[in-house]
Amino acid sequence: MTDTKTILVVEDEKGIRNFIHNALTTNGYKTILAENGRNARAAFLSQCPDLVLLDLGLPDMDGIELLKEFRQWMQTPILIVSARDKEAEKVMALDLGADDYITKPFGISELMARVRAALRHKSLLTDNSGVESVIRIKDLTIDIAKHTVTKDGEEIHFTQNEFKCLVLLGRHAGKVLTYDFIMKNIWGPYSPSDNQILRVNMANIRRKLKENPAEPKYILTELGIGYRMLIE
Amino acid sequence: MNKLHISDLFKTVFMLTLAYKVSDILLNYTGIENNSALVFVLAVLVISKITEGYLWGIVASIVSAFCINYYFMYPYARFNVTVAGYPIAIISMLIVSIVTGTMTSRIKQQAQEALRREQQTRELYQMNRQLNDERTAIKIEAEKEKMRSNLLRAISHDLRTPLTTIIGSTTLILEGGANMEEEEVQRLLMDIREDSEWLLGMVENLLSITRFRPGETKLKTQPEIMEDVISDAVIKTKKRFPDCNIQVSLPTDILMAPMDSMLIKQVIINLLENALRHSGDKEHIQIDSYQKDSYAVVEVSDRGKGLNTALEESPSSDSSKGHGIGLPVCESIIKAHNGFFESENRPGGGATFRFGLPIQEVEQDD
Repeated sequence: MTDTKTILVVEDEKGIRNFIHNALTTNGYKTILAENGRNARAAFLSQCPDLVLLDLGLPDMDGIELLKEFRQWMQTPILIVSARDKEAEKVMALDLGADDYITKPFGISELMARVRAALRHKSLLTDNSGVESVIRIKDLTIDIAKHTVTKDGEEIHFTQNEFKCLVLLGRHAGKVLTYDFIMKNIWGPYSPSDNQILRVNMANIRRKLKENPAEPKYILTELGIGYRMLIE
Repeated sequence: MNKLHISDLFKTVFMLTLAYKVSDILLNYTGIENNSALVFVLAVLVISKITEGYLWGIVASIVSAFCINYYFMYPYARFNVTVAGYPIAIISMLIVSIVTGTMTSRIKQQAQEALRREQQTRELYQMNRQLNDERTAIKIEAEKEKMRSNLLRAISHDLRTPLTTIIGSTTLILEGGANMEEEEVQRLLMDIREDSEWLLGMVENLLSITRFRPGETKLKTQPEIMEDVISDAVIKTKKRFPDCNIQVSLPTDILMAPMDSMLIKQVIINLLENALRHSGDKEHIQIDSYQKDSYAVVEVSDRGKGLNTALEESPSSDSSKGHGIGLPVCESIIKAHNGFFESENRPGGGATFRFGLPIQEVEQDD
């Protein structure tokens, strides 16, 4: 962690670009700034950043198109910056391979947390590439081989599907998984089109984990988008 | 018109010929005591019925009278009006023919008249209904217009107040520069942040309004678990008011209701903020969710100064930003979901805002 991480900031609003640049540099990151898609593409290819902060509303092209291009070339983590009432856009970006999203307006602490999570997620993936048989999240231990979940040493019983949900979220801890992604992974390609079954399973999981709805410790619901296993 | 006359003439000739033929056949069997007059009266009756107006009936009856006299009364094939009783017979037949003819004509006309009147009534009724529809549409439009202008007035006032603070404070800092006390700058910056956040809340409410227009587009709802929405709203509110204490109590059963989750989240955030800002109590905010009848109910309560004093604060007073558009927005969002929205004072002090959405059965996964 001694080397400085480089972050490509693609944002057309000068004010926001300045504020993000200041926040990132004071927190020890190096930034490359791009105010449009063309510059962003050039910077991405020539400087290979460790993370991309991508605003979807760009003056010269659709941010989604840029996201697709980046994904074709490299697995660099991409953090989407999006407006509040555009759930469909966020879901699309996530399904196309974006790692996370942050909604405008956001505070500095929120931005830094997302940046850290996205960078950590990258190293997590390269470390154990998902073959680990035991997942640990805070005081929660998910033993995939033994098919058990313990919280603070105490075993909690989960149904087959609930367990699968937990494993999937645990493997991608820190990352938002869309309803669609989870449905396809657990109920298969012919899963029911509405995600009610998933919601009910998640609500049951949360009850069994004794989550405090005002301050969830393990699983966060991203309304209209999906779920995220919390790591910080 | 001409065509009609020709076809009527044709009908008349046909009927009379038919009557003649029938009488001719009957004559062979009955001789002088024939009933050809009756046959011809019948023909005249039919003619009056199937032709337009009186004319053809009368013509037919005159022709019939002569026809009977000429062909079927002794002496045959010659006009003879001298035999006793003959003129009377001919005249009475004429009268019978004319009376029945005119009567059938009149009945026909009356039937047509009745039909015409019915149609007219129907048209009138339709026109009346159309007018009524238009009138109510205009009324609704006027009502909407009034709401819109009221809303705009409230918004522009509510936007101007915090903007004045922001512009004033930033100008002070920029011009004061190094001469200002650190503490003073800090205070001004805090004001700026608070007012910006307030503006943000305002914009979120405005976005909610543009998301649905009552009566025009239907809400895009999908089944959502109420506690997910509550949880999200509480987390978001806590982010903005880090020192507040919100108690959440959820039902043991999962409550699901079709909704636009973004809008319902906005309602809950508004209610929580309302409690935090206006009740004067940040310690005992409570949010409960339960099922009542076929409704998924959410309740936000506080232990503050209660409803009346909270609502009496006029939104136009410059001393406070007031409730702005928060509560009216909440109410219209809930109404658009076919839910109920109510508020009351709590026994023991404080206020409760409550809303319910029609519930949807939950399918459990086995």
